[in-house]
Amino acid sequence: MRDVVRIMLAPLLWLAAFSAVYGLQGLLCGHDVTGSIAGLPLPRVILIAAYGLAIALQCGVLAWLCRTRAAVGSRFVGFVSRATGWTGLVATIWSLFPVALLSICG
Amino acid sequence: MNALERHRRLSAIWASEPGFRGWFSTVNHNDLGRMFLVTAFFFFLVGGLLAMLIRAQLATPHSAFAGPEIYNQIFTMHGVVMMFLFAIPTFEGLAIYLLPKILGTRDLAFPRLTAYGYWCYAFGGTMLLVSMLFGIAPDSGWFMYPPLSDAIHSPGINTDFWLIGITFVEISAIAAAVEITVSILKYRAPGMSLDKMPIFGWYALITALMILTGFPPLILGSVLLEVERAFGLPFFQADMGGDSLLWQHLFWLFGHPEVYIIFLPAAGVISTVLPVMCRTTLLGYGWIVAAAVALAFLSFGLWVHHMFTTGIPHMGLAFFSAASTLVAVPTGVQIFAWIGTMWRGRPELHLPMLHILGFFVTFVIGGLTGVMVAVVPFDWQAHDTAFITAHLHYVLFGGFVFPIFAGIYYWLPHFTGRRRFFRLGEIAFALVFVGFHVTFLAMHWVGLLGQRRRISTYTPEDGWTAINLISSVGSFILAFGIAMILLDVLLHALSAGRGRRNPWKAPSLEWAMMTPAPAYNFASLPHVTSRAPLENDPGLPLHLATGGGYLGTPRDGRRETLTVDIASGRPEMLVVYPANTRLPIVMAAITGLFFLSLLLKFYWTVPLALVGVAALAWRWVWGLGMQEDPVPQPIGCGLEVPHAAAVERGPGWWGSAFLLTANATFFGSLLFGFAFLWTVAPGWPPPEWLTPSWGALILGLVGVAAGSLGMRLAMRQNRRGAAPSMGLALALAGTLALAYGCASLMLRAPAPTEHAYGATLLVLGGYGLFHAALAALMVVFTAAQVRRGFTSRTRRSVFSITCLWTDYAGFTGSIVLLAAHLSGLSP
Repeated sequence: MRDVVRIMLAPLLWLAAFSAVYGLQGLLCGHDVTGSIAGLPLPRVILIAAYGLAIALQCGVLAWLCRTRAAVGSRFVGFVSRATGWTGLVATIWSLFPVALLSICG
Repeated sequence: MNALERHRRLSAIWASEPGFRGWFSTVNHNDLGRMFLVTAFFFFLVGGLLAMLIRAQLATPHSAFAGPEIYNQIFTMHGVVMMFLFAIPTFEGLAIYLLPKILGTRDLAFPRLTAYGYWCYAFGGTMLLVSMLFGIAPDSGWFMYPPLSDAIHSPGINTDFWLIGITFVEISAIAAAVEITVSILKYRAPGMSLDKMPIFGWYALITALMILTGFPPLILGSVLLEVERAFGLPFFQADMGGDSLLWQHLFWLFGHPEVYIIFLPAAGVISTVLPVMCRTTLLGYGWIVAAAVALAFLSFGLWVHHMFTTGIPHMGLAFFSAASTLVAVPTGVQIFAWIGTMWRGRPELHLPMLHILGFFVTFVIGGLTGVMVAVVPFDWQAHDTAFITAHLHYVLFGGFVFPIFAGIYYWLPHFTGRRRFFRLGEIAFALVFVGFHVTFLAMHWVGLLGQRRRISTYTPEDGWTAINLISSVGSFILAFGIAMILLDVLLHALSAGRGRRNPWKAPSLEWAMMTPAPAYNFASLPHVTSRAPLENDPGLPLHLATGGGYLGTPRDGRRETLTVDIASGRPEMLVVYPANTRLPIVMAAITGLFFLSLLLKFYWTVPLALVGVAALAWRWVWGLGMQEDPVPQPIGCGLEVPHAAAVERGPGWWGSAFLLTANATFFGSLLFGFAFLWTVAPGWPPPEWLTPSWGALILGLVGVAAGSLGMRLAMRQNRRGAAPSMGLALALAGTLALAYGCASLMLRAPAPTEHAYGATLLVLGGYGLFHAALAALMVVFTAAQVRRGFTSRTRRSVFSITCLWTDYAGFTGSIVLLAAHLSGLSP
C-alpha cells in the first residue's frame, strides 16, 4: 500500500492545496476581510502566502520522492511517483497562479 | 490427477446452480459480469430509443410529436439511463468479468458483494424504468438543479424517482468499486508485482478509487434534496439559509470526475487492445500509468467549470479554467503514447481496430472542444446551448462507446469461444461513425447559432430547421448502425463456429484458459514473471491446466484462491470463498424495500427494512466465522501460507478500509456543505444558534476515547489468550455514549425546518448517531462471535475490522460534536 500511496501523494497534495486555496478565497470574500500589509491588500497577501506554502510543500514532496527513490521496491514505482510528483508541482503552480493577478471577490 | 479430471472437480466446486435458478443464486464473477453487461446494453437500447424520440421531436419546427411535459421526461431519462444505467455498469460488468482473468486469479474479492451490487443495480434501474412507463419519470434534466427540482416547483413524485432510484443504483457502483479496488490490490497471481500488472488493471484501479471518492458527494446531494422535499429541511432554499448553488457544487463534484470515470476504463481497453492490433507492446507503460493517475486527480479540480455562469468571482473561475486546460496534458500523454504504439507496430485493420480509429477521431475533437469550453469567455457564449450537448457526446461516445465496441469485439471470442462468421460489423461501424458525426457536428453548428439545449421546439424563423433535420437523419443512421452491431453480436453468440483459443495471439493471462471461460478460470494459478506472460511462455495454458501452478489440487469442495502482497506480488494468504447463495438478492430486495418505502412515503416500513438489512448483514458475516484454528495451508510449488481468518488484515479489513474511504468522502462533503452555507449562502446568520451542552459534548468525546481504547484492549486481551469481555464492554459503553451525544445534538438543534443551520446540525447529528449505532452493533457482533467460539488468538480478524469501524465512528463523531458546539459559540 505504501507504494500506491507514494504514487498518489503529490496529486493528493495538489487536490488538498487547490481545495484549500479555493476555500480560503471563499472565506475571505464571504467574511469581507479587508486591511493591508506593506501596501498590499491583506486578502491578496494571505492568498499569495497560501500559494507559496503549497508550492513549497510540493517541492518538499518532490525532493523527498527523488531522495528516497533507492528505498523503493521497484524502479517502476520510483519512476511513476516522480512523474506524479512533477505533476503535482506543475499543477499547483499553474492552477493557483490566478491568486497573483486576478480580482479576488469581483 | 489429469487435466480433465481436475476440470471436472473444479467445475463441480465452482459452478452455479443449473438453469434459470442459477441466475438468482450465483456469486461467480463470470455469470455476474455477463449479467451486468447484458443488463447495461438493455439500458443502452432504452437510452438510444429515447435519443431517437428526442431527434424525432427536433427534426422539424413546431413539432407536435411530444408535448413539453413528455419531452422533459424523455431527455431527462435519456441522460439518466446513459450515464447511470449504461456507462458505469458497463465498466463494472467488463471489470467484473475480466479482472480475475487478467490478474490471474479465480474470482473477485467479495463474490456475494458482486451479486448484491448487481441486484441493487437491476432493481434500481427497474424502478426508474417503471416510472417512465407510468409517465411519472424524472423531468428536471439529468443534473436535477434546484430550485426547479424542489418540492415547490416539481411537486410530483417524478424527481423523487431520480433521487431515490439513483441512490439505490449507486450502492451498486460503490459495492463494485470496493470489490474492484481490493481485488486489484490483493487478488493477483503470485509474482505479479505492480510493474507487471496489466495496464487495464491500473485503469480499473484508478477508476474504482475515483468512484469511491466521486460518487459520495452526489449521494449526499440526493439525500439532502430528498430530505428537503419530503420533510421541508431547507438546504437549497435561499430565503431560509440554504443555497441552490450547493446542489451544483455537490452534483459537479461527482459529475465532472464521472466523465473520467467513464473515460478511463475505456482508455484501459484501448491500451490493452491497441498493442495487440498493432503486433507490438504498449509504448510508455509507466508514463501512461502516471498520466492516468494525474488525470484522475486533476479531474476532481474541474467541477466549477460547469458553473462558470453562476456568478462565481473571477479568481474562482480562473482556478478552474486553469485546471481544465491542464487536464489536456495527461490526456495528450496517453494519446501520444497510443500513436507511438501504432507507429512502432504493424497495425492490422481488424474490427476492434476500426473502432479504436473511430475513438481517436471522435475523442480528439471532443477534447479540443473541451479546451474551448474551459476558456471562460467562450463558455459564457456557448453555455447551455446545443454546442455543449454536442461536445459531451463527442467526449462520451468517442471516449467510451467506440472503445467499448472495440473491447466487445476483441473479447467476444473469449465470451463465446466462437470465431466471427458474419461480417455485419464492418458495415455497422461505418454507419455508426458516419451517423454519429453527422448528428453531432450539426449539433455543434446549431449550438453556435444559438439553439439552447433541452428546448422542445423552435420556430422556422430561428433558422435551425435544415441543420436539425440533418442531425436527426444522422441520428437514425447511427441507430441503424448500433442495431446492426447488436445483431452481429447476437448472431455471433448463437450461431458462429467454434474458434481457437487466443485468436489475436494476445500476451495477457485471460487468454491462458479455455473459452468460454470455466467457472474457476484457472485450473491452477500462474506465477507471473513479466507483463506479457503468454508471449514469454506459450506453454503456460497447458502448464496451468495440468496443475503446474498454485492451488492445482481441488480440496474439500472449497473455492480457494490466494492473495498477495500489494507491491511485490508475494503470496500472502489463502482465501476460501462462500458458495452460491440467494442472500445477495434477498438483501438487495430488502434494500429496495427501504428505498421504495421512502419513495411512496410508507414511513412505517422504513425501520422494518433497516432491521431486515441489519439482520441479513449479520447473517452474511456470521457465516464466515470458523470454530477451529486454521493451520498454514500448502498452496503448491513448495509454499505454505496462512488462512485469511488467521491474519490481522484479512479481506474484510481491506473491504472496510475502502468502504470507509467512500464514507469519509461523504462526510467531508457534508462538512463542505456546512461551511459553504455558512460562508456563501445569503440567509445567514440564522435566527437561533445551537445552545452548547457541555455535558453531552464531554460525554460524547469521552465515549469516543472509550470506544477506541476498549477495542484496543479487547484486541490485546484476545492476543494474550484472555477473554476480551472487559475491552468489548468498554467499547460498547463508549459507542453508546457517543450515540447519546449525537442524539442529544439532534434533539437540541434549532428548528430544522426553519433554517438550513438547524437542518445541517440535524443531518450531522444523524450521521454521527448512525455510525455510533453501527459501531455498537459491530461490537455486539464481535462479542457474540467470542461467546460462540469463533475467535481465538489465531482467529482475530474480526477485532481489527470492528476496531476500524469504531475508530471511524469516533473520529467522525467527535468532529460532528465539535463542529456543532463550536458553531453554537460563534455568536
